Amino acid sequence: MSTLKNLWQKKRWIFWLLIIALLCVPPLLKILGIYKVKALYLRYACNIMMYATLAGSLNIINGYSGQTCLGQAGFFAIGAYTCAILSTRFGVSFWVLLPLCGLASGLIGLLVSLPTLRLQGIYLSIVTLGASEIIRIIAQTASITGGAMGIKGIPYPWLFGLDAFRPEYYYFIFLVLGILFLFCTSRILNSRVGRAWISIREDQVAAKSLGVRTSFYKSLNFVYGAFWAGVIGCAYAPFVNFIESSQFTTDKGFDVLAMIVIGGQGTLVGPIIGSAIVTVLTESLRFLGVWRYVIYALIIIAMMWLRPQGIAGATNSILAGGKVKRKPQKRKGAAA
Amino acid sequence: MSERENRPVLLEAQGVCKYFGGLKAVENVDMQIREGDIFGIIGPNGAGKTTFFNMCTGMYPVTKGKILFEGNDLTKLNTEEIAEKYIARTFQNIQLFRFMTVLENVKIGCHVQTHSNLFDAIVHSRRYRQDEEYTTQKSLDILKRIGLYDYRDVKASNLSYGMQRKVEIARAMALDHKILLLDEPAAGMNPQETQSLMEFIKQLNADGFTIAVIEHDMKFIMNSCNRILVLNFGQKIFEGTPQEVKENREVQEAYFGKGMVAGEALK
Amino acid sequence: MEYVLNQLINGICQGAIYALMAIGYSTIVGVVGMVTFTYGEIMMIGAYGAFYIFLSCGNNILLGLLMSFGCSFVLCIAVYKLCYERFFNAPRHISLLCTIGFSMLIKNLAQIVFGPETKSMLNIIPNRIFTLHLGSVAVDFRLLQIVIMLLVVFLALMLTFFFNRTRAGIALRAVSQNKDAAYLVGINVRRTALLGNCIGCGFGGIAGCLLAIYYINFQSYTFGSFSMKAFSASVLGGLVDLRMSALGGLCLGIIENLGITVSSATFRDVFAFGFLILMLIIRPQGFAVKKGTRV
Repeated sequence: MSTLKNLWQKKRWIFWLLIIALLCVPPLLKILGIYKVKALYLRYACNIMMYATLAGSLNIINGYSGQTCLGQAGFFAIGAYTCAILSTRFGVSFWVLLPLCGLASGLIGLLVSLPTLRLQGIYLSIVTLGASEIIRIIAQTASITGGAMGIKGIPYPWLFGLDAFRPEYYYFIFLVLGILFLFCTSRILNSRVGRAWISIREDQVAAKSLGVRTSFYKSLNFVYGAFWAGVIGCAYAPFVNFIESSQFTTDKGFDVLAMIVIGGQGTLVGPIIGSAIVTVLTESLRFLGVWRYVIYALIIIAMMWLRPQGIAGATNSILAGGKVKRKPQKRKGAAA
Repeated sequence: MSERENRPVLLEAQGVCKYFGGLKAVENVDMQIREGDIFGIIGPNGAGKTTFFNMCTGMYPVTKGKILFEGNDLTKLNTEEIAEKYIARTFQNIQLFRFMTVLENVKIGCHVQTHSNLFDAIVHSRRYRQDEEYTTQKSLDILKRIGLYDYRDVKASNLSYGMQRKVEIARAMALDHKILLLDEPAAGMNPQETQSLMEFIKQLNADGFTIAVIEHDMKFIMNSCNRILVLNFGQKIFEGTPQEVKENREVQEAYFGKGMVAGEALK
Repeated sequence: MEYVLNQLINGICQGAIYALMAIGYSTIVGVVGMVTFTYGEIMMIGAYGAFYIFLSCGNNILLGLLMSFGCSFVLCIAVYKLCYERFFNAPRHISLLCTIGFSMLIKNLAQIVFGPETKSMLNIIPNRIFTLHLGSVAVDFRLLQIVIMLLVVFLALMLTFFFNRTRAGIALRAVSQNKDAAYLVGINVRRTALLGNCIGCGFGGIAGCLLAIYYINFQSYTFGSFSMKAFSASVLGGLVDLRMSALGGLCLGIIENLGITVSSATFRDVFAFGFLILMLIIRPQGFAVKKGTRV
């Protein structure tokens, strides 16, 4: 056991390679014709990976710098629409669009973050929420975004001469993006920038007194989070082939928020767990019709009651409140 | 005394005022902290000591007057800029990153001495590696010096009050500035801890730090400071050496009221 | 010119409803200290309550309003128990997500219980139009608009009276300013917060009913965007200041309706949120005089 632990500490990358290799197995089985994995399941897997990255990008903002952004759907929409417009009208390649959409979304993120720098807490939430709604409404009415009709026939990306139309190919796109995201983010979090973000979350006054330029780092945090939301939005548009404004409502933003809170804010695995749970739940309960949302809602509430820090979250973190646990005692005292 | 006059002035306040609406929290205070000082600021509760510190570090804007650091005007700068270039401080009510380990706390203190950005972090550039090495090395050095090396992986909130104060000082040291502003560093410490803190501060001073300290513990102040500023109701009532402060009538009155023979209590 | 003036009247009327929503919202935020995302559903329940009263007892507006107040009031007890009481000392995002979950729950349950189809409230108030001639321009007032405006003013005055003159109202103000101090002077904080929360929601319910009457048709998901408006108006007023929130609501209503005179009606929300964001850039504390209530 101890040798295993030792190995884990020293050669962590081996484990990561192992996990990645395992993740590659299902689509490869299908591609090589060994076993016919249902396309539907592969689509679910794609969805999970996509939402995991999207939730991860929100987690950067909410979980690591402690700002409450509710408008991630807006950044997602910017990415998706940029991709859709540029690829259908100008035929720009998907691979060029990926960073481009990220930058476009990051730019909007910067614009949103500027007014929010002077704001805190709930003021910031309403601004991000408002911005997300504005983006959606403009997408719904402007002619360049296809209005209420949306944009159809977004070309699939080409991968080594292969049309990535089938989910088993698209699987790899999401996998690579997800891994890239995790890789960059984990490296940033272990650096000066990541420490600055976390210090802002923990105590803004102290961070300022240590020379952390809070406005700059909050802005940077927003831009970085928005960037990845844009990138994943860009990958989303060809995946579903058709986008319209109703895919980017605030409810979508709340869904993503629910994922990170269920999974655990401020952890890297949290969004992945959250995304898997929410996606599997909403897909597998599809036969229940409207009732599945009722169950989903109940699970969110139950989660907040039983484990507010999320499944992967640490009990003793600022995001769990620390105080929640002590609550019952206090209540007894108040009653007496 | 004359020896002190020869040393250059580090932090200087010229007629500094702070008004909160009609309340004159700090009124026309002059101060000169010279390099190598342990400069004490004392005064009864509500005398405006912390407000004065907050103005020095840019947390409150100055209503009137000027604050200079080695001739640079700090009055227009904000907290981050002052912390980045000139002054490190601690807080009266401990402002630690409570859910982070001691080492992480100190590492954040190294922020201003390092310069790697987002891309350095992603590609692990040379600057990133240098920065990380510097940060880790520096933090561990400071922790060794302050005697918290064994607690480096403990969550800050799990430490005792006295140790948390020390972590805060360690964090401020990591900024590597000439001057440290300590706001009631001995509050909540037991006598032994206070004693060791006092020795530590003297040691720091010998190592080249200039220190300004607000404290209520008279023994602490009288034994460690070489210069003391006394504030009362926002006004400077006296400045001088510990001996002079002890003997000053006005200071005694501020602390004990008029007509009281207070000499003994201060000894 | 005539069109703009008429839109202004529409705006004031809509603004009055928004003001009522904002007053309710600010009451909740002030007393509980946390924001809510269930407000849309509270309004929806108010509207449904009134709808079924009108269906069964005829078009008695007073009864309808009472019913919507009552329905929202009762629903709010559940909101309070589920989403707030446990989380007073917890980080804010926890109760926030709880209210989001609760909102989803009610929205979908309502679809199951009341059905997804559009309900309409016809002729609750007789459709009479008064025309005012100002020189060459004619301005139309609908009876409905006049009733709504008067009703909102009346309710606001009632609430002011309640807050300033009654024992419970003063206790409420104490709780909203400092819970610990309120504990110390012997106020039952939990019960008072519950009461405040429910009164705020009751106002929301009435606003929902008025909205349904004003727009004639409503569905279970109509109220989502209105809850955002209530939130925005409340933020404009500094979140806890009732008068300023009402002003915020009025401003939002007027700006929306004037905004759509120069563009299409779909941009209604863009004007509302754009104004909000602009306002917050210029004055982060909103209309409120005092700075620094961090909610």
